[in-house]
Parts: sequence; C-alpha cells; structure tokens
Amino acid sequence: MIDQFLLGLGVVLQPHILMYAFIGVFIGQLIGVLPGIGAITAISLLLPVTFYLDATTSMIMLAGIYYGSQYGGSIASILLNLPGTPSSVVTCLEGYPLSKSNRGGLALFVAALSSFAGGMVGVAILVLAAIPMTIIALRFGAPEYAMLVILGLLAASLIGTGSQIRSFAMVVLGIALGLVGADQTTGYYRFVAIPELADGISLVSLAMGLFGVSEIIRNAAVRSTPGRVMSIRMRDVIPTRAEARTLGLPILRGSSIGSFFGALPGTGAAIASFMAYAIEKRVSRTPEKFGTGHLPGLAGPESANNAAAQTGFIPTLTLGIPGDAVMALIIGALILNGIIPGPRLMVDQPELFWGVIASFFVGNIILLLINIPLIRLWVLLLRIPYQKLYPVIIVMICVGVYSHRTSVTDVVLTLAFGILGYVMKNYRFEPAPVLLGFVLGPLLEDNFRRAMLIYRGDFTVFVTRPISAILVTCSVVLVVFAIRSSIKARRKTARVLS
Amino acid sequence: MIKKLLVALPLTLALAAPSFAQDFPERAMRIVHGFGAGGNADTVSRIMAEAISADLGEPVVVESRPGAGGTVASGYVASEAPDGYTMQLLVGGHAVAAALYNELPYDSVNDFTFLSTLGQFPFFVAARAGEYESISALIEAARAEPGSIVIGHSGVGSTQHLTGELLGLQTGAEFIHVPYKGGAAASTALMGGEVNVIIDTGTVISGQAEAGVYDILAVTSAERWPDAPDVPTLNETVAPGFDVVSWTGLGAPAGVPDDVVEILSTSIGKALAQPDVQEKIAALGAAPGGSTSEELKALIERQIAVWSEVIEAAGIERR
Repeated sequence: MIDQFLLGLGVVLQPHILMYAFIGVFIGQLIGVLPGIGAITAISLLLPVTFYLDATTSMIMLAGIYYGSQYGGSIASILLNLPGTPSSVVTCLEGYPLSKSNRGGLALFVAALSSFAGGMVGVAILVLAAIPMTIIALRFGAPEYAMLVILGLLAASLIGTGSQIRSFAMVVLGIALGLVGADQTTGYYRFVAIPELADGISLVSLAMGLFGVSEIIRNAAVRSTPGRVMSIRMRDVIPTRAEARTLGLPILRGSSIGSFFGALPGTGAAIASFMAYAIEKRVSRTPEKFGTGHLPGLAGPESANNAAAQTGFIPTLTLGIPGDAVMALIIGALILNGIIPGPRLMVDQPELFWGVIASFFVGNIILLLINIPLIRLWVLLLRIPYQKLYPVIIVMICVGVYSHRTSVTDVVLTLAFGILGYVMKNYRFEPAPVLLGFVLGPLLEDNFRRAMLIYRGDFTVFVTRPISAILVTCSVVLVVFAIRSSIKARRKTARVLS
Repeated sequence: MIKKLLVALPLTLALAAPSFAQDFPERAMRIVHGFGAGGNADTVSRIMAEAISADLGEPVVVESRPGAGGTVASGYVASEAPDGYTMQLLVGGHAVAAALYNELPYDSVNDFTFLSTLGQFPFFVAARAGEYESISALIEAARAEPGSIVIGHSGVGSTQHLTGELLGLQTGAEFIHVPYKGGAAASTALMGGEVNVIIDTGTVISGQAEAGVYDILAVTSAERWPDAPDVPTLNETVAPGFDVVSWTGLGAPAGVPDDVVEILSTSIGKALAQPDVQEKIAALGAAPGGSTSEELKALIERQIAVWSEVIEAAGIERR
C-alpha cells in the first residue's frame, strides 16, 4: 500500500498536476464560501475544461473542488449562519454562536484544523483499508440503511438545545417537508401543489431559509448595528492550551465516525456530522454548553464531514460506483476520457487511482496552508455594517439557490422558509432538527419500503441480518439509557423537592 | 418630419417582413434540456452546441431546466417561439413521459418539431458472475418460482424500469421490481446481493462486466449491438420481437419554418459526421447516428404506444 501511495505521490508532485490540484481546492474553497453554490455547480461548470485534460488531472482537479468546498462551507456557516449542505448545518450550531461572541476567528481556526485532521484520517483509511471498507459497504442493504437511519434519528434527537418535545415536533415537520414530491416507490405525487415541486423541496432552499435568511431578518429587527470589531490578531485566533486539550478526543471520534459513514454510498457526510455532534454531546461532561459556542461540538462534526468527504471516494474508486451526484459528475469526467470506471480501475490505472488518492493528501495540506492566513480576511468581512452586508448576502443566496435547479420557485421558497425560521426561533423552535428530519425521513421511508418489497413484508429481516441486528441493538440501548437517565433526573428533583 | 418617416420606413419594413431563411441564424441560439448541469444530457448538449455554433457562426447556449423527469423543460420549449433559435435536447424519457403522466401541459408529438436523433443505445441485462448460465436460465428460474427474482431499477417510470416490466410481460415471468435512486445505486445492490438482476445502460454495467463481476446475459435491442457482438439479444432468445433502444435527439417547438429546419438538420448532420463528435457521443455509451425529422417522430410515436401498454399492463401509477 505504502509503495503504491508513493507512486501516487510521484504523480501528484509533477508541477502541472500539482497546479491543477491547487486550482481545484482553491476554487472549491471559494465556491464553498458562496452561500448556496455548492460543489455540484462548480464541478459542472468546470466539466467542459476536462475535455482538454487527461483523466488523472481532471479527476484530481474535480475531486479538489469537492473536498475544498467542504472547507469553504464551514466559513459561511460559522460567520454568517449560512449552511450550504446538511453537514454544515451542524457547523452552524456551535460555529455561529462563537462568531456572534466575537470569536469567529478562533472558530475558523478550529474548523480548519479539525477539517485537516479529519481529511488526513480519511486519506489514511483510503490508503490502508479501501478494500475492506468496500466489502463492509456492500453488506449494507435496504434493511441496514433503514435501521441506520433510525439509529441516527434517535441519536440526533439529543441535538436540540431546548425541550425534547419541541425538537421532536421539528423533526416531524422536517419529515413532512421531505414527503413533498414523487413517492420513490410508486412514483405517486405527494403534496405537489405546483408542478415545480414535483422533485421535492430543495435542501439548499430549506437550509438557507431556516438558517441564513431567518438570521438576517432577526438582525434587521435590531436597530442600527455597527459592524462588529473582531480581533484579527493571530494570538486571538489560536486556541489556548486548555482549549486545545479539549479538542483531541472529539477530533479523533469525529474522524472515525466520518470515515466509516463516508464509505456508505448515498448516506455519507450528512449522517456522519449529525452523529458526531450527538455523540460529543452525549459523552460531554458539560452538555449544557452545547449550542452556545462549545469548541468540541464544532471540532467533532467538522472532522467527521471532512473524513467522510475523503472516504466517500471509496466506492467511487474501488467499484466505479458514484456515492452521490457530485461523484457521478466526477465519474462522468472519467468516462469522457474513455476510462470505464469499475473494479479494474485500481489494477489497470494504478497511476490514476493512487495519483488521485495522493492528491487528497497534498490537497488537504494546501487547504490548511491557504486557510490559516485567510482567516483574518474572512473575519474582516464582518466589519462591514449589517445594512451593507446583508442585502448583498440576500442577493447571493438567491443567485445560489437559483443556480441549483434554475427555479424561481426555489428562490421564493427560500425567502418563505426564512420567515418561517424567524417565527420558529421567536417561539424557541430550533431549525436543526427540521433539517435532520428532512434529510433522514425520506431515506428511512425509501429503504424501509425497499426492504419490505425485497423481503416480501417480512419484518424479521431487521433482526436476522447481522449488521441490521447490531444497529437495532444500538438503538434499543440508546433508548434504555435515555429513559434511565431521565428517571434518575426525576428522582433527584423529587428528592430535592421533598 | 419626412426625414423621420424615411428613417422609420426601412425599420418598419424590416420588422414586418418574415425572416428569410437565408438570414438564419442572425443571433445566438440555445439548446434547452431538462436534466442537471454536468449530466449526460448536458454533456451531449454541449458537444452539439459547440459543433453547430462552429458551423453556423452564431453562439449556441446550453440551458438546463431540470425537473419532473424532463417535462418541465419540454413544457417550456413547447411554448417558446418556433423560430429555430430555441432547440431542445430530447431523450427517450420524452416518450416515457407522454405515457406516464396524466396531464402534461403539452402534446409530446404535436407540440414539437423534431430535427434529428443524435445517438441510440440499448440496455443490458446483467447478473452477478456465474449466477445464471444464460438469459433462458434466468427466465426459467423466474417462471419456476414466480416472484423469486428481484430486478433492481433506476427509478419508478424510468426506461430501465419499463423495460424490465416489458420483459416480464413478454416472457410470462413474474419479477419483483425494486426502485433505487439511479442506476449506480441499483448496481451497488446487485453487487451486494440484494437484487438478482439489473437492466441498465452500458456505462453502468460494462465496468463491472469487464472486471468479471457481472455476466451480461442479454441486450434489449432487436439486433446484436456492435460493441458487444457476443451478447445475445432478448429478441433471439426468450422474447421474440423484443426491441428497446433508447435515444437522444434534438427538437424544437412545433411550427419551425421548413427552410430553418433544413438549415438546422444539415448542420446537425455535419456535426454527427465529425469523428471527434462521434467519439464523444460513443464515450457516453451511445452509437452516434442522425435521422430525418420523420424518423424521429415515428420512433417517438412507436415508443409512446409501447410504454402506454406496459404502464397499463403493469399497473404503474400514472402521475
């Protein structure tokens, strides 16, 4: 493995390839910062360029855009509460409060460092365990995915900062919104009030509306706000020794969770970062600090989503099977270059295969190096007074949302969700569980019904298949623990009162 | 005053005069398609846009209007001006949509001017290596124990899905059809052992087949496919008369003047004769090839009839 990795490194370190790797991560990073414009838009814009590049170079550049945009996505989430992907929703939870208390620079530094660490762990897994991970991923069928999603929903019900009932209600709202569109199993249209909704509500509209736009409305209600003067001295950006010490374990846990979930085609990064957040909150001795700008709650999920962004390439590279829409575009670039992606890629095109993997290693280093100095620049952005900054951001959100599906309906919906998010927040309903329900609900329905189709309505598949059985056990244990701790808490209060 | 009139006169004339074909094109044209940016439809559109633009000397812009299986784009194009400046990249789904949707805001045949096909491609029936000796063995297994064979497909109402249903109808074999989100997900399920068979395009299947992970049991075209001459057709084995070939083509709103159609068709023909255009279309898994306007129209009408029957017989929910 190491030999082959060195072979790959030899490929990447050729100056012209290194340049394209740099272009890729740099564009990815910039695109990630722009609200609503994701990797998919950037890659499809640059796809025609790959007509003129060879397969290895194209793939290295396009992959760079993909994981580079993961870095960039955190920046908009932390500074402006603008999540472009489900995984950056989790970044908002701790990142934005930090930024509001004038510690945005620190949040960016921790995010960059955790992302780097997560990315590196992901690359290591890719190099050392791509094949075993592939085998495990293939064992995940419909029953396993269904149970995994249930586990995810249970774990994440701990996410909300307020009451459990409120966050449960928001998960249900999210699931309901996720139902809009064509039913995956029968094709029947549900809640398609206007034809534009046939493909469902866009995730980007929902996330941008509930988080970004609602925050802008809230701030607009505050009279004459001067730009925030945030310290940009390097000293204030770097965490103190005590703070740094609290980050090691969350980064380690986040990277492991991310590496594992990333390798599962289709589910990857989103579940990974929600899970990482839920676990950090669970194991923390100070769970009440979550939601107020708690660094471990930022570091864990950040390393998880970047680890997942790297291991997400496992099915793509080892099987030639794209895990999501972005991967499909990257594979498309290979096909256009006359390379048929498949299990033989590793054997037939070792330079491409290992070159791409080595480029992740190099790309993550480049990202870290360009990110740290840029922190000061990003923070300066917040010195612009709200009255001038926010109109620009609203326009950018609209352009970004529109660019996804060239749909005006999506833009209108984004603004509507902004108003909804504003009202929700006023009544202390959190937006994060809505997003969670929206992403996981359809995934659960889809896989549950698929499992029932394949196994002809036999419910026992969920406990007779080994991996599914393990997941069911985890869910049960989680519920038992939750009940036990709530009984304990009640007894304690009872004792105090009596 | 008179001076002003004199100035205005040629202007009015120019506006009133019908645009003569020899002037076409005098501004940018566009190719609209109903799928995501960067996908196959987008790529084919760009390949054609580049070639047509080089030939006719005006830019051709590619515009993606995704949604509802391409019907959003078709509805949009059908209501645009039939001046030849708006074209649409059509795919096999155009015929499927006509059969599948209850109320389309357009008529899939009469609201369009069809220009030419660009390429055609068949579907392949694949199973894990060594599981079935031949397509006949598969059909026999399905007949022996109805419902024991699970076919994974790329989505309800996709051509892949309907092709699987058609195979069941024509052979009398009873399959369970399971939807996935796209061909790649169905292929993962086949590899993981969750389904027994998938029916999909060469781009989805050939990588695994070359690696010896899949056996390709049959091809859906009536004749053997030139790129895979060893693969038997369904037509010659288990389902005589079976002929499913999907396609991409170019169309425009109904009522484009004949001479403009002529100019565009000629330009498309020239593009398809270029080796690099052929190469790029072939790389996407299709056999490049043009057609006359009538041929494309006839193909679409035939497919609408077939898919309507399949949807009716298989009891698929119309939208």
